[in-house]
Amino acid sequence: MSHIPRRALSLPRPLLLGGAILLASTLVAAFPGAVAPYDPLAMDYVNLLAPPSAAHPFGTDNFGRDVLSRVLHAYTIDMQIALFATLFPFVFGTLVGAVVGYVGGTPEAVFGRVVDAVITFPFLVLVIAIVSVLGPGLGNMYIAIGVVGWVFYARIVAAEVKVQTRLDYADAGRAMGYTHARIVFRHLLPNAITPAVVYWMTDMALAILLGSSLGYLGLGAQPPAAEWGVQIADGKNFMATAWWISVFPGIAIVITGLGFSLLGDGLAEVLRGRR
Amino acid sequence: MSGPVLRVRDLITTFGQGAQALCAVDGVSFDVGPGEVLGLVGESGSGKSVTLRSLLRLLPAGGHVAGRVEWQGRDVLAMSEAELRGVRGGQISMIFQEPMTALNPVLPVRVQIEENLRAHTDLDGRGRRARSRELMDLVGIPDAGRRLDEYPHQFSGGMRQRVMIAIALASDPKLLLADEPTTALDVTIQDQILHLILDLRDALAMSVVFVTHDLGVVSATCDRMAVMYAGRIVEEGAVRDVFAGPRHAYTRGLLGSIPQAGAERSMLLSIEGTPPGLAAIPPGCAFNPRCDFATEICRAVRPDLAEMAPVHRAACHNAEAVAAAGSPVRSALADG
Repeated sequence: MSHIPRRALSLPRPLLLGGAILLASTLVAAFPGAVAPYDPLAMDYVNLLAPPSAAHPFGTDNFGRDVLSRVLHAYTIDMQIALFATLFPFVFGTLVGAVVGYVGGTPEAVFGRVVDAVITFPFLVLVIAIVSVLGPGLGNMYIAIGVVGWVFYARIVAAEVKVQTRLDYADAGRAMGYTHARIVFRHLLPNAITPAVVYWMTDMALAILLGSSLGYLGLGAQPPAAEWGVQIADGKNFMATAWWISVFPGIAIVITGLGFSLLGDGLAEVLRGRR
Repeated sequence: MSGPVLRVRDLITTFGQGAQALCAVDGVSFDVGPGEVLGLVGESGSGKSVTLRSLLRLLPAGGHVAGRVEWQGRDVLAMSEAELRGVRGGQISMIFQEPMTALNPVLPVRVQIEENLRAHTDLDGRGRRARSRELMDLVGIPDAGRRLDEYPHQFSGGMRQRVMIAIALASDPKLLLADEPTTALDVTIQDQILHLILDLRDALAMSVVFVTHDLGVVSATCDRMAVMYAGRIVEEGAVRDVFAGPRHAYTRGLLGSIPQAGAERSMLLSIEGTPPGLAAIPPGCAFNPRCDFATEICRAVRPDLAEMAPVHRAACHNAEAVAAAGSPVRSALADG
């Protein structure tokens, strides 16, 4: 089957590059111990704040912990944040959006006002407020992001489904005697979900930023856990003397975020082309 | 011929509410016999498509249907949602004008055919696969096994309409509603699709209601025709009778506007003006402002459908004058 590699080559470059970055990230996240040279929590009091060297390529922090090992182990938590903080909003928002877009009328009007109410607040402020009420920690952070985040997916999907509902094949489905549930979820949704999937990829990048921000503020992952936001916060007092504590986790955030963005762009290109 | 399978009485379809309500279909009545092909003819906006969709209560939001639509003795308009779902696609199927938009672009054809079988039959997976292959053969799509796994965009316009027909026929309906099924196709393909529908009518013993603005299609395919204008039926009868001797000035105008290949060269007649908007239907006969035969009574009193000859009804005050003027259609079509 010689046409398969050729098809793979014809995929847009952003998709391939983003996919490669995320594949590597996922592998590191799954097996951090296999690539990290040290235990991320092991302290070495002889080498406090050691600059990058052959023994510690990314240097050590103020407890003598190896920054490279901590950055690699943080993949586990940060990739989880990317997935868990967006999975519920994606699934729930898509379902709500599909139903609201299909039904229209009063439910749609009510939904519209809920969306207005949520997007009135800056996203981060709303999430911080909810986490403060629930208490800091990863679990509560997921809840807070979920409560707010589904709205954006629902709005995207509702608009798409509304467009699809007016097309002939939706009428054809009704003319064939299919149930409403079948028409919405089997026929309309697959046609309407593309923008939501693309947004999902972007949202994962945003979730990592948000998770790191909350970690930095002490509301997300808690020290001594290895998480990029926490690490950047750890290093902020040593920026002038030991820049490596904060800079390397920052680079990890940039690369991972770039991976998701590229994947989203590439996916949008492929899915648009297919229409 | 036994009694009609579909009996429509005083069908009224309105959009909107209260004073702003617009009446798109105004008191339409007709029958469809077993195995019969009925043509609903009219200009754009005459209410023919809305009539067809009203039969299955397939209206956009805000539409309301009143009257009676008796399908095998049961009133479709009084059915529960669940009963209606059983009739739609199972006993009465519908095909649409645009086969591209009426098929789901992201599902392979096989899935879309099996979808109907899943909804209306007890066939298991193996049975559904066998049946969908059989249906592809039935509607004349070669290489069914391979083409079943293709997507709608991989089919040409005529083939897509065949797929649409295969889906509509999946559960052996007894009535096929066809909403301008050939308008979007080129002429040679039109002819193939029309023949396919007629062949299937014979093979499956079903009735067909054809909505079209193309009188050529009507003369080639229909047994009876009903001409609609401004939401009402203005003339109804056997196709041969209506073509040979139209009794309504509007029908006569329509027939006069068909170009006739092969006939002696003559002036094409056209009907002046455009059909009235739903919000401004003139009093009396709705056609009177455009009618060459209009008299005083036409502007004041709305004519009712009256029996002009056996099974030939028309709603025209001046039916005799129209009949005396004769049919503008010469030879070929009327004899066809």
